[in-house]
Amino acid sequence: MITRPTWTDEAPVVELIDLHKRFHRAGAWPWSPRQEVHAVAGVDLRIAPGEVVALVGQSGSGKTTVSRIVLGLEEPSAGEVRLEGQRWSGLAEAQRRAQRVHYQYVPQDAMGALDPQQSALEHIEETLKVLAGLPRAEAREKAAEMLSRLGLGSRLHALPREMSGGEQRRVTIARVLALSPRLVVADEPTSGLDPDRRESVLEALIANLPPRAACILVTHDMSEARGWCHRVLAMIAGRVIEEVDLSVSEPTHPYARVLFDPWSAPLPRGLLADQGCPYRPDCPLVTAEVAHLCATTVPSLQPLPRGPDGQRVACHALTASSSSPPPSSPPSSSPSPAPTP
Amino acid sequence: MSEPLVVVEGLSIQAPTRLLIRDVGLIVRPRRITALVGPSGAGKSLTARASMGVLDVIPGLVAGSLRYPALGPQDWFQGVVGGGERAQRRLLEATRSLRGAYVSYSPQAASSALNPGRTIGWQLAIAIGRRVEAPASVGAEVRSLLAEVGLPARAAAALPAELSGGMAQRAALAIAIAPKPRLVIADEPETGLDPVLRRSVIELMIQVCQVHQAGLLLISHHQSTVDRIADDVVVLPAPPAGEVAA
Repeated sequence: MITRPTWTDEAPVVELIDLHKRFHRAGAWPWSPRQEVHAVAGVDLRIAPGEVVALVGQSGSGKTTVSRIVLGLEEPSAGEVRLEGQRWSGLAEAQRRAQRVHYQYVPQDAMGALDPQQSALEHIEETLKVLAGLPRAEAREKAAEMLSRLGLGSRLHALPREMSGGEQRRVTIARVLALSPRLVVADEPTSGLDPDRRESVLEALIANLPPRAACILVTHDMSEARGWCHRVLAMIAGRVIEEVDLSVSEPTHPYARVLFDPWSAPLPRGLLADQGCPYRPDCPLVTAEVAHLCATTVPSLQPLPRGPDGQRVACHALTASSSSPPPSSPPSSSPSPAPTP
Repeated sequence: MSEPLVVVEGLSIQAPTRLLIRDVGLIVRPRRITALVGPSGAGKSLTARASMGVLDVIPGLVAGSLRYPALGPQDWFQGVVGGGERAQRRLLEATRSLRGAYVSYSPQAASSALNPGRTIGWQLAIAIGRRVEAPASVGAEVRSLLAEVGLPARAAAALPAELSGGMAQRAALAIAIAPKPRLVIADEPETGLDPVLRRSVIELMIQVCQVHQAGLLLISHHQSTVDRIADDVVVLPAPPAGEVAA
């Protein structure tokens, strides 16, 4: 397990402020109205230097879109991205270009991201020459050193097609780490690998991050989130529904619990409500007390009553008791009239 | 209890330079689930394929027996052990009529195992053609199979590329059960799916096997899944160290 970084006065590496992204999709016919997909619906996030954060969720929950917006590969429809205290979203590409070397991306499809005609060493060497401006000899030396650190010392001259899936991933990781980035966004870096190889690939990435570098890991493998990340954000329908540090606590939101252990509860039918809490149709926690609230108001991330520091959940039923001042009586036993606004 | 569907004993398979599987045994009974687990490279797929009579490693089978007690006492590996490529090819031919009607295989990566140029309905019709008794109406069978795995009837006209990952996995399952096999071999059906989809695919697979009274041999990486659902578990040991290019 990795040690948790401490918050300091430094600016967070990543700061997302009420981020939204809407995509427009063409209708079935040219004259049909365009459909709007709200891929990211109000995400707030701060990541400290040295912190590794996992974004988890089902396919289509918006986690990849968030990670692309962070890197400036997409523009948010609303909200703001700040990197290391500086405004990042909405800038012209010319203003961003010089900074991009510090914010790096590990792709999902390693084979597609590698040049079939370049050896492992040449990939890293070229990256260092072009992006970091190193002279050839120095770039070569540093490239070889980085590859050896990731266990590829004997594979320097291998072409991508001669490498196993795990080795290809490690080349893409070495290419990113050689630049000493201050932020690494990894979009399912282990997808398609066998579970026991995933571990070694993830270790190559996270154990070799430069000190004080932040990392966002997009994944749907919960054991990766558990083993390697300081904080996990579970997403549904473009919203973060729970934020939890798995070393001190467990997920509480019913959907986050299903994600972490799909056998723990009846399987959600996957119906998402348009209004109110998106998970409402499948939620086992809706009681008469909160049903009205759940149906009308989208829950925001709130600290859990009596929960550990830093755990926040977007659920009216779980956070309802935090709004009523004294936690003298357990909320389940006393059907006291809830303070209805 | 009724006769087991397949019994493999003492299976050892040799590659030119090393032993791939050593002394593996497994039994699958009707309406029961046997899980085959182990790390990558342990020979899970190889074992599953051998239990269908498919051997494609040279020199290959060096020891073991394969029986389908529900069909008869014959040991299909007799004369194949140590016989090399030609004997293995003879076995492949001899067991061909069993694949489909008796034992069927649901591949690991459904979306790449489906024929990209043919509709789902066309591929289902081919699989239905493997049945012992031909149905009265193939079209009606296609529709009922699609309904059984939770796909809409219009999926029959869809090409695999038009389906999402979860839908492709369902279509592959429909094809696997279309010949009404008595034994289904599913090779990591959950690979690449998110946790919720993973469970729904496995549950569907179990439900479909129950309905058809078939036995299920499930290859899986997920110990937590296996612990919940399997009646019997066969664990293969790890191969010798060293990463092998896949």
